[in-house]
Amino acid sequence: MTLFVVGLGLADERDITVKGLDAVKSCERIYLEAYTSILMVPKERLEAFYGKPVIVADREMVESEADVILHNADKVNVAFLVVGDPFGATTHTDLVVRAKENSIPVVSIHNASIMNAIGCCGLQLYNYGQTISIVFFTENWRPDSFYDKIKQNRDLGLHTLCLLDIKVKEQSLENMARGRKIYEPPRYMTVNQAVEQLLEIEEKRQQNGKWLRGGMESVRSIYSPNTIAVGLARVGAEDQTIIAGTMQELLTADFGGPLHSFVIPGNMHFLEADILRTYAVNRETFNANAVVLEH
Amino acid sequence: MGKPTNVRNMSVIAHVDHGKSTLTDSLVSKAGIIAEAKAGDARYMDTRADEKERGITIKSTAISMFFHMPDDDLKEVKQKTDGGDFLINLIDSPGHVDFSSEVTAALRVTDGALVVVDTIDGVCVQTETVLRQALGERIKPVVIINKVDRALLELQLTKEDLYTTFRRTIESVNVIISTYFDKALGDCQVYPEKGTVAFGSGLHGWAFTLRQFAQRYAKKFGVDSEKMMTRLWGENFFNPATKKWVTSSDAGNGKQLERAFSVFVLDPIFRLFDAIMNVKKDATTSMLEKLGIQLKADEKELEGKPLMKVVMKKFLPAGDALLEMIVIHLPSPALAQRYRYDTLYEGPLDDECAVGIRDCNPEGPLMLYISKMVPTSDKGRFYAFGRVFSGTVRGGLKVRIQGPNYVVGKKEDLFIKSIQRVVLMMGRTVESLDDCPAGNIVGIVGIDQFLLKSGTITTSETAHNLKVMKFSVSPVVRVAVEVKNANDLPKLVEGLKRLSKSDPCVLCYTSESGEHIVAGAGELHLEICLKDLEEDHAQVPLIKGNPVVQFCETVQAESNIVCLSKSPNKHNRIFMKAFPIQEECAADIESGKISPKDDFKARAKILAEEYGWDVTDARKIWCFGPDTTGANLLVDVTKGVQYLNEIKDSCVTAFQWATKEGCIADENMRAIRFNILDVVLHADAIHRGGGQIIPTARRVCFASMLAGNPGIMEPVYLVEIQCPESAMGGIYGVLNRRRGHVFAEEPRIGTPLYNIKAYLPVMESFGFTASLREATGGQAFPQCVFDHWQLLNGSPLEPGKVKDIITAVRKRKGLAEEIPPFDRFYDKL
Repeated sequence: MTLFVVGLGLADERDITVKGLDAVKSCERIYLEAYTSILMVPKERLEAFYGKPVIVADREMVESEADVILHNADKVNVAFLVVGDPFGATTHTDLVVRAKENSIPVVSIHNASIMNAIGCCGLQLYNYGQTISIVFFTENWRPDSFYDKIKQNRDLGLHTLCLLDIKVKEQSLENMARGRKIYEPPRYMTVNQAVEQLLEIEEKRQQNGKWLRGGMESVRSIYSPNTIAVGLARVGAEDQTIIAGTMQELLTADFGGPLHSFVIPGNMHFLEADILRTYAVNRETFNANAVVLEH
Repeated sequence: MGKPTNVRNMSVIAHVDHGKSTLTDSLVSKAGIIAEAKAGDARYMDTRADEKERGITIKSTAISMFFHMPDDDLKEVKQKTDGGDFLINLIDSPGHVDFSSEVTAALRVTDGALVVVDTIDGVCVQTETVLRQALGERIKPVVIINKVDRALLELQLTKEDLYTTFRRTIESVNVIISTYFDKALGDCQVYPEKGTVAFGSGLHGWAFTLRQFAQRYAKKFGVDSEKMMTRLWGENFFNPATKKWVTSSDAGNGKQLERAFSVFVLDPIFRLFDAIMNVKKDATTSMLEKLGIQLKADEKELEGKPLMKVVMKKFLPAGDALLEMIVIHLPSPALAQRYRYDTLYEGPLDDECAVGIRDCNPEGPLMLYISKMVPTSDKGRFYAFGRVFSGTVRGGLKVRIQGPNYVVGKKEDLFIKSIQRVVLMMGRTVESLDDCPAGNIVGIVGIDQFLLKSGTITTSETAHNLKVMKFSVSPVVRVAVEVKNANDLPKLVEGLKRLSKSDPCVLCYTSESGEHIVAGAGELHLEICLKDLEEDHAQVPLIKGNPVVQFCETVQAESNIVCLSKSPNKHNRIFMKAFPIQEECAADIESGKISPKDDFKARAKILAEEYGWDVTDARKIWCFGPDTTGANLLVDVTKGVQYLNEIKDSCVTAFQWATKEGCIADENMRAIRFNILDVVLHADAIHRGGGQIIPTARRVCFASMLAGNPGIMEPVYLVEIQCPESAMGGIYGVLNRRRGHVFAEEPRIGTPLYNIKAYLPVMESFGFTASLREATGGQAFPQCVFDHWQLLNGSPLEPGKVKDIITAVRKRKGLAEEIPPFDRFYDKL
């Protein structure tokens, strides 16, 4: 019959839309995608709320066993629950393509995503540029291509939303090589870690730039420890936390549990700045460092 | 010991059965460690019961000796010295190819080598191999031509024939030496007239260099001994009628002159032999008087061989001749480290460690290379055996123990521990030392558990490693072992660890399916290892499987299509093709001629000029594999792909993994070049992490390999056999039955023997030695050494012999019998 791709919203089981809830209740099987983002409540709460069992679909299942999910979906309804919005920050287009190839109708039911809820910090959604992800650096793998995107955004005066890496059910390299299904404990990147990595990349780029130019002139920095930024935690939940401040200040600010997001503002409209100021760690440093268009 | 100019570190190297251990006895007896009478029979340096039983050396053994040189002779030493007392650290090494890793370990810690060559057999394969190894380590050789007694007694050669045999042997040694000429080491060819060649008999305990004779005659002719030496070799003749030296054998009046070597050197020996062996008592007595040889009462009763042994030992004592030659011609550590330090040290050549090594400075930072582990009498513990290149080592010193994978600044493969004791290795025993300065060979107690096989010990935090040894043999023969009683398993595991420590070359590991595997260089090596494992290291009854060989997976053609694999999330695609690498190129990589450490531009130049690579491609080799050094290449031939550098690491990991365990039978891949043609990536790093890229890159490697007409390679031995003509039929028969083929067959000039060279697949070599002995009545003794990889005819994908072999391997490894199909790795666009 139909594959429903349902957005669950941001925080708990009650964030689902009425339409989404109706769809879920009509379904034979319900899958919860639980690796690109997480809900702040356990799946039992969902099951109690829907009155139906929920199958947790981890990365392996979604990526390697899509056929299991789509099995007889042409005859019965199947729900695929996605935290946030189905087509927000996540990447389930592959499942949709496969369903369509099998002539299974797909209905997507939208919901709030961090991509729009981020408006809560006061920076207007119109003024955001490309969204980037910051991944956990490993000893040898320190991808920094996001730096160029931040640069492009800031050159245009746009804000940058940074999504922070989560690692749920990841195998270590050794276990992957051995084909052992042993998973590492889940990890969620904090704002503090993100700021640390961002500053590291800025410094590295500065040094590379200096080296390229023969050490004579310094390179224009994109941001610095004094740049104003915003850290957000658990957006949409009751204990949502928003803190604005210089990157230096955010390096040590306490945001509590996951999930965290991070915004580097571009040029701020004075109203944007007014709201943001209410979240500032220190109003003086905020005023001193914020780039605000007053006229 | 504290004077590096008066130390000589040397190893004794040769082909198997050319008499190293026996000869070493003479040296050891000279130092008073064993009774002189026993020298030649004792095999003091063969410390193990099985070594004595088989009459071959298995482990290299070290001994330190003092030698005093009289002041008169001291002036002959052309390098700096400090007094007439010398310390000689000698290592006796095995000659059988299966144990040549022991030779490598011995050479690393020495500066000079005494190359023993059999008069009758001449230069053999292993002579050449060890010489090449020695010169590669910048080790200066001197030569002794051994078993001269056999030439005299068994072959009854004439003087002129003997001279020709000597000359021919020396020439062939020099040909090898000049082939591996190294500028830093200088000219190392050996010349009898310079005293760098000795002649003698280890068994009888006598030897001489021309120096001994020159000294005797110098006074008589009134010239200095150096000039005399040059006259005693080559085209120099003495005309007794005119009392003049000439350079032609024509005496002018139709008479032929005998060359000086024959007259002055060989003649007394021949006459002595003749007199004693034919029991001419009077002649013997008068000759002994002339030569000033005093016999003891009981010795006077002897006759024939025993008498000759006693007489010759007194006439030309081997210990004196050889030790003199060693002291005069082999370099001291102070001299040798000056030209060796750049090949020894991995780090920059101007840091404190490099300078310490160069100057052999006992006050410098400690730099000590552990080349092997020697079992102690205490079961399960080892002496770490090595050479102090810089600084001084003493008990209680806190040191950094750096394993072969240590990288400066990182913490992996690094331990900081205290040395318990320092000892001097004395063959079967050890002697404790308070400390030991640069230039010496020592044993270290108390660090064995922190080292696998070899490593660098240092006190400097900035020290790089001393270069890791490269072995000329590889462990191609494997056997699975298990315990008879399941309860003994922990003992086996512990035993395997100890075995792995005690031998530089053996490889012990646990396979995927849980089998314990021991891999060795050859059948004999494996046999000894397993015996040690069962009797010494594990001490539990074992069940040994049949030996099996390692195969390699390769491609025989370019992939017939461009292969594509998609990442699990379907957002990333990698396009790849596999190509065969030419055999010569693969061999160059394996021999280290083309290596990942080369400058990429220089490497690209070689690949382009010799192997027809595109220079741009050749500069974009991402890595070698498996184990980052193998003969497979991952090459980036993409054009303008964004973020490619961010997935490079994942691709390299995947490539290492894929080449280590191929998809055909989980064996190493070999001689495959993987070209990454194109890559499409998700814009965001989070969707192209290792979890996405590594499995994808691995799958695309497999897909392109399966599309490239995969093939299987087997290891092949080079076999060298010496035998009389009558045994040749038997040899051909045995080789033919075992898919071997002879490619060279040369008579040995001056002997009734033939030299046969053949290739023999390792797979067919089990029991080869035994059946060869059987077929030739014990007249042929083969030397097998891994030579190259050879493609098996056929494809593992189609029914046939190759497929049967692979199916057996897969079964043994506990894999599914079917080779995974192409579409498991290939994704459609």
